Amino acid sequence: MLDSDSWVSIGQSVLFWLLMSIGLWRVTGKLAFKRRWMVWLPGLRFYALGASVDMPREGAICGGLELLTFILDVITTDNMNEKLLLALSLLALVLLVFIYVYSIRIYMRLTRVFGMRKLWIILFLIAEWLPLLIIGFGKRFQPKNTSFTEDWEAGTAPAKLEGTEEENVRALKNEGLSFEIRDRTVSSFGKKQYLLKDIAIDIPNGSFVLLLGGSGSGKTTLVNAIIGYEKANATVKLNGSDIYRDYGQMKYRIGFVPQKNLMRGTDTVMHTVNDSARLRMPKSLTGSQRKSKTQEVMELLGLSAGSDGLVSKKSGGQLRRISIAMELVTDPELFVLDEPDSGLDGVISREIFTKLRAIADEGKIVIAITHTPDRVIDLFDKVIVLGRDSGRVGRLAFYGSPQEAREFFGKDTMEEIVMSVNRKEEGGEGLADECIERYARLAARAEGGAAS
Amino acid sequence: MKNEELKYTGRLIQVRIYLGKFLRMFVFQNDWKILPMGAVIAAVVTFVIGANLFQTQEGTEIGVFALVCVCIWNGFFNSIQAVCRERDIIKREHRAGLHMSSYVVSQMIYQLILCAAQTVVTMIICHVTGVHFPAEGIITSWGMLDVAITLLLITYAADMMALMVSCIVRTTTTAMTTMPFLLIFQLVFSGGFFNLSGFADKLKYLTISHWGMDALCSIGRYNEEPMVSVWNMLVNFKDLEYQGMTPLKDILVKVESEGLRDSFLLWSGQNNAKAAYVSEPSVVLMNWAAIAALLIIFAIAAVVALEFIDRDKR
Repeated sequence: MLDSDSWVSIGQSVLFWLLMSIGLWRVTGKLAFKRRWMVWLPGLRFYALGASVDMPREGAICGGLELLTFILDVITTDNMNEKLLLALSLLALVLLVFIYVYSIRIYMRLTRVFGMRKLWIILFLIAEWLPLLIIGFGKRFQPKNTSFTEDWEAGTAPAKLEGTEEENVRALKNEGLSFEIRDRTVSSFGKKQYLLKDIAIDIPNGSFVLLLGGSGSGKTTLVNAIIGYEKANATVKLNGSDIYRDYGQMKYRIGFVPQKNLMRGTDTVMHTVNDSARLRMPKSLTGSQRKSKTQEVMELLGLSAGSDGLVSKKSGGQLRRISIAMELVTDPELFVLDEPDSGLDGVISREIFTKLRAIADEGKIVIAITHTPDRVIDLFDKVIVLGRDSGRVGRLAFYGSPQEAREFFGKDTMEEIVMSVNRKEEGGEGLADECIERYARLAARAEGGAAS
Repeated sequence: MKNEELKYTGRLIQVRIYLGKFLRMFVFQNDWKILPMGAVIAAVVTFVIGANLFQTQEGTEIGVFALVCVCIWNGFFNSIQAVCRERDIIKREHRAGLHMSSYVVSQMIYQLILCAAQTVVTMIICHVTGVHFPAEGIITSWGMLDVAITLLLITYAADMMALMVSCIVRTTTTAMTTMPFLLIFQLVFSGGFFNLSGFADKLKYLTISHWGMDALCSIGRYNEEPMVSVWNMLVNFKDLEYQGMTPLKDILVKVESEGLRDSFLLWSGQNNAKAAYVSEPSVVLMNWAAIAALLIIFAIAAVVALEFIDRDKR
């Protein structure tokens, strides 16, 4: 039987656990976290909090450590061998230190998300359940920044190079893709490293956009940030809807064709495309509607013949088209392709880009990365050029039509443009910094002109 | 504008989609090869240990251990590469709305079919190689069915463990490197062959092999079987002389001539009875439940591990 002290101790633990869980329930609710039931379970509750402030890794580590500590607590008994007891106690101490470190990081982010002063962290360290309850129930505590990243410094926002009046009207109507990537960072050994900075662009519907840049300039990072797969400190809107905020729904309106042909060779072409449609299309569509759309896309991409054949038996060009069909079948509003012509010869490459042009002509936005742009440049409406500045950060060096790009860089071909922004040690001209600065000035002037 | 509240394919339909994919994979990716491979392994093992399995305590212990090894080996091989070999594909599909729980559940159903097929093959091989299964079961009325259910559970739990590893690691190379360690852990800590003590003894409760061996020995009525090793040892020492006489030989001859050898063997067996091998439904069910609990834990861990797939570095 337990003595009265033990009952008091258990009662206190249950009470604090309950208070903390209630606080977490409210806080994660304010942050629109979906799996809120996690807050009631040891281990998972830290993950829930971490994930809701966009720190799932830290949350998972902290949760895992908490669970380990819990297990250690359960298996440790007074009857244990002294050495083992000492070893387990030391291990528990180390785990607690790590839990503190990771939980502080999560709480720091939480205070930032709610626009609170950093001093709140002291209260978190004393009694974490208390500030959680205050934030959870306090009406004045509301998330300030949905992307949970650093505040956008006033005045440092990149100016957009305003387009034609028609484009401005379109932007006001919330049509097309509009993104402002303030920065995209990664942490390496506690050090913050910028991958992208200051990229703001409006792309009207029906545009076929070429994304250019040398190796390591951040093309794939930019694409992943735009489609919401790797979130940046950014605002990305597609036809008025915030991709980051509504990612759960928006991901179905975006098609992304990765660089590699990621599909199962053991499926037939028809099964691959049809299963992709079943996975991504709304439930409300009937089977016949889905099949009809699948057939339509396969016709468009020239995949109907031999659709019963195995994917593994298809040629490189056919594989690329199957990969495109898997995404296109859901009729995405934004269609992004990472090197759709990778490993293909000129004729097939041209054929694929012509199909993509046709898709853009249906009113969709198509963004493509390619390392051989000149053979298909006539098909594109716009060009985005990324350059890596002296700080090795990917920045916007140009956005405009292909002709404007040629004039801006003073080059005849897109490959020459890429070479001009590439670093000297990579065989380029090392003009990235100059181009980035010149384009920023041009954009600022254009914005000033538009405002006046 | 599109409706913000559009509903997309739910988990159940996704399970059906992926089950279809895996079954096609069975045909086209030569996954069916695991069946003849399993048959060969079972044949080799039962050829060596089959005659004494479920006949004597020693034969049962060695035979059951070997059978458990076959099942764990089969289970590991079924799924150790199943997820990691298509990790990038899963990542792409997750981005397009795939629920990891649906993916793992469809893998579980597919792997269950594979394990069931392997168990049937193993049972047939055992039958062909002359293994005598207990006539009466503990849970069902057919001893062979009790053994088959246990083998299926062991294979499936090993399969789920390997599936979990396959979900955690990122490459097939890492998965294949991990496999031998898991196998050694299962064999060493089964508690069947190596004497464990202290903390190591506690670890046996985490192994599929321990619960599987207990269940099979219980179904095989280990405690009611004769024990031959004591008799054999006495026979080896029969010529031992004491004060010019050979008392052991005299006793053995007497026992043999009076037809008491079998009684002696049974008496030895009764004295070697183990509480864990009691042939009662509650014991077998507890062992089955422990294996089932392990496989559920592995499956949940697999889902959790896959939920982090988006964190993979490019």
